[in-house]
Amino acid sequence: MEFKKITLANGLVVIGEINKSAKSAAMGFFVKTGSRDETRQINGVSHFLEHMLFKGTENRSAFEVNEAFDRTGAQFNAFTSEENTVFYAAVLPEYFVEVTELWIELMRPALRDEDFNIEKAVIKEEIAMYKDLPSFDVMDRCRSLYFDGHPCGNSVLGSEESINNLTAEQMRDYFAKRYAPNNMVLACAGNFDWEQICSIAENSCSRWQKQTAERKLEKSPDSQKKRRVEKPNLVREHICLMSPAVSAQDQRRFAASLLGTIVGDDVGSRFFWELVDKALAETATMHFAAMDGTGAFCSYIRCSNEDMSGVLDIIRSVFRSLSESGITEDELKKAKNKTLSALVIKNELPIGRLTDLGFNWIYSQQHRSITDDIDAIKAVTVDDICSLIERLNPGKFTQFSIGPA
Amino acid sequence: MAEKLDKHILKNGMVVLGEPMETVASAAFGFMLPAGAALLPTGCCGAGSVIADWIFRGAGDKNSRQLSDALDGLGLHRASSVSSSHITIGAVMEADNLTEALDLYADVILEGKLEEEQFELAKQLAIDEVLALDDDPRQKVMLKLKEQFYPPPWGRSTIGEIEELKTLTAEKTRQIIKDNFNLSQTILAVAGKYDFNTICRQMEDLFETDPLVHHNPAERRAARDTGQRTTKADKYTHLNNDGAQVHIALCTETVKPTDEDYYNARVAVSVLSGGMSARLFTEVREKRGLCYAIAARYHSLKYAASIMCYAGTTPEKGQETFDVITEQFNRLGEGISKEEIERAKVGLKASLILQSESSSSRAGGIGNDYYMLGRVRSLDEIKSKIEQTSVDSVLSFLRNNKFKDFTVVTIGPKEIKRKKKKATEATENTEKDK
Repeated sequence: MEFKKITLANGLVVIGEINKSAKSAAMGFFVKTGSRDETRQINGVSHFLEHMLFKGTENRSAFEVNEAFDRTGAQFNAFTSEENTVFYAAVLPEYFVEVTELWIELMRPALRDEDFNIEKAVIKEEIAMYKDLPSFDVMDRCRSLYFDGHPCGNSVLGSEESINNLTAEQMRDYFAKRYAPNNMVLACAGNFDWEQICSIAENSCSRWQKQTAERKLEKSPDSQKKRRVEKPNLVREHICLMSPAVSAQDQRRFAASLLGTIVGDDVGSRFFWELVDKALAETATMHFAAMDGTGAFCSYIRCSNEDMSGVLDIIRSVFRSLSESGITEDELKKAKNKTLSALVIKNELPIGRLTDLGFNWIYSQQHRSITDDIDAIKAVTVDDICSLIERLNPGKFTQFSIGPA
Repeated sequence: MAEKLDKHILKNGMVVLGEPMETVASAAFGFMLPAGAALLPTGCCGAGSVIADWIFRGAGDKNSRQLSDALDGLGLHRASSVSSSHITIGAVMEADNLTEALDLYADVILEGKLEEEQFELAKQLAIDEVLALDDDPRQKVMLKLKEQFYPPPWGRSTIGEIEELKTLTAEKTRQIIKDNFNLSQTILAVAGKYDFNTICRQMEDLFETDPLVHHNPAERRAARDTGQRTTKADKYTHLNNDGAQVHIALCTETVKPTDEDYYNARVAVSVLSGGMSARLFTEVREKRGLCYAIAARYHSLKYAASIMCYAGTTPEKGQETFDVITEQFNRLGEGISKEEIERAKVGLKASLILQSESSSSRAGGIGNDYYMLGRVRSLDEIKSKIEQTSVDSVLSFLRNNKFKDFTVVTIGPKEIKRKKKKATEATENTEKDK
């Protein structure tokens, strides 16, 4: 696979990894903006804005946008996280140019008042939908408790109140500041013509104005607070734990990811053998969440309310044993095998390759081939992981749970 | 939808299918065992979930831990599922590990330890999963819909029923495994990078010597039961739940994959809910802001098929959402533009090709085709059949197959009201839940 890159005068970076044997191609705009870049007053604006980009431009209505995408048969969508907003499409090669041109056009949206008002109702429905998904709700609330007032703890969706109060004008201001060409990357992967994409980007994106779009990376706290909320309509206890980890830029992220697999993969991990295999919890997972300048281990456990205190005792003993005795060579080997095969399988699809390609650039301004990542994973040693455990002490966690009254 | 299909039938009737993929380094496989929810004895609803867990708790010369370590050592990403017809156990991995993985899975199928102590743990987890469904109304409403719509035993919950799980014993479950892990009706589907000859010789060695070939009347019995009942239940069930949204699920009967109108049905569903310019998304979400989640899809079992729709909305909007959805279903046959049909066709064809890049999705696809149709369709055949549909063929299909009855299930704080056709036809059913 061949890697290519150009940077336009206004700072827009276009990158591509070409694989002529693929049956499809995928592209995406990775915008470095999310809920951590919001103030409390406009919380939820990044995600709301993501929806509004589908609402069209000065020349195209929302329905015309949807029609245009559907005419290409593209699988297209967008998502917003605490620190990124990504717009993407996977499509057959013959439609790649059409879909890329369409996304380029949509990156300069009309943001009309009437569309804003209808979409506000949809956003509030999305907030309501996630309230009925306690596994999501508990993670969201735990993140806020963990970051304890730091913007990284902002909810991606916002609250019903913040969305009610949000104005279209505030959104337009936010858009002007954050959707600057120097704050985004256009990434492409799979079977496509690089030269053609470059000339389209140069012709259509060069007039976008460069802006100062910064992100504050001050040290984030980890509150280690414990909180429980009762919801009478729930049957099970949903528990989320968070503790500090390394950042997306840190070389130790590969070790952190393997530690997440050793402790909390859905099968064969320490959580699995101590909790799920013994039928004390039906789900118990932990993963490493890499972020810009920070990072966290996040665990999700679901069990009966009666078993909760016993389950938490076991979790503490799992973390204690990690601190006291570290991990074994055998555990590391299994975690590496699972991680390496997942990496290979994911990257077989252009849409899977696209996400790694885009995020590597967003976080580290570098291209990493699949082989680079494979080598980095293979190089991790038991000592690397043990020193990470010693430094991070995952047993000191923030805890949030939601369960029946 | 294979571009090239490998097929071999073992002496005991077990079918081995393969779709080679040149550009991948992975391989995926799935053993489809005829032990789905509909094929289990009455009173054992949920045994499928228990079995899918129990059989991995030790097999051959390995105990539970050793088996799991061996699978993890190969870097396998395991996937087990229970449908109404099958328990499917499989994995995706780097292709070099396929042979070893198949050896281990043969042990799981033929030589499970099936220990009593491990049974109790698997059963407890299955019970907990059923309890946890109450905290996931969106999944629960679809399970309930299938149960209401498909005739017994095909609509049975694939997760299980608490009361029936509680009375399940290890002895009974061992017997179910013995009766249902019938190799003559088992399909192994492989896709990705593999050598078909090697797989066939390996399967012959592993499975042809096994005496597990017997007549299992479960599927024939289930099919016969279906013949005696119809799916056309115009029925409404509401489950009270003090959540944030009312979760609306509805479905109506349509043609099966073996029907000559199958592709007309698929295109019709795509016009209704294929992409973001399709009718439901446009009318329910884009124009009215009623929902975030709204979608309809084609769903089929071997003996019946339906168009299923889900929408989640806040209680005060539930009625309008339901009314707009049913209106869109009913208006579909009144007229469809050429552009709508073209978009639906392009969308269906593109998703076929995009899926064909993933080994796990292909292994699932060829196995399912073989079970449903007795053969695997080629990519060209499907493309050409989609191509042959037109405004006229889809409209004529819709006129000849009007959406007469809807089975409706809602979960949430507020019920919806249906427009009554004839008082005698419809039944109302309100269950109190929590």
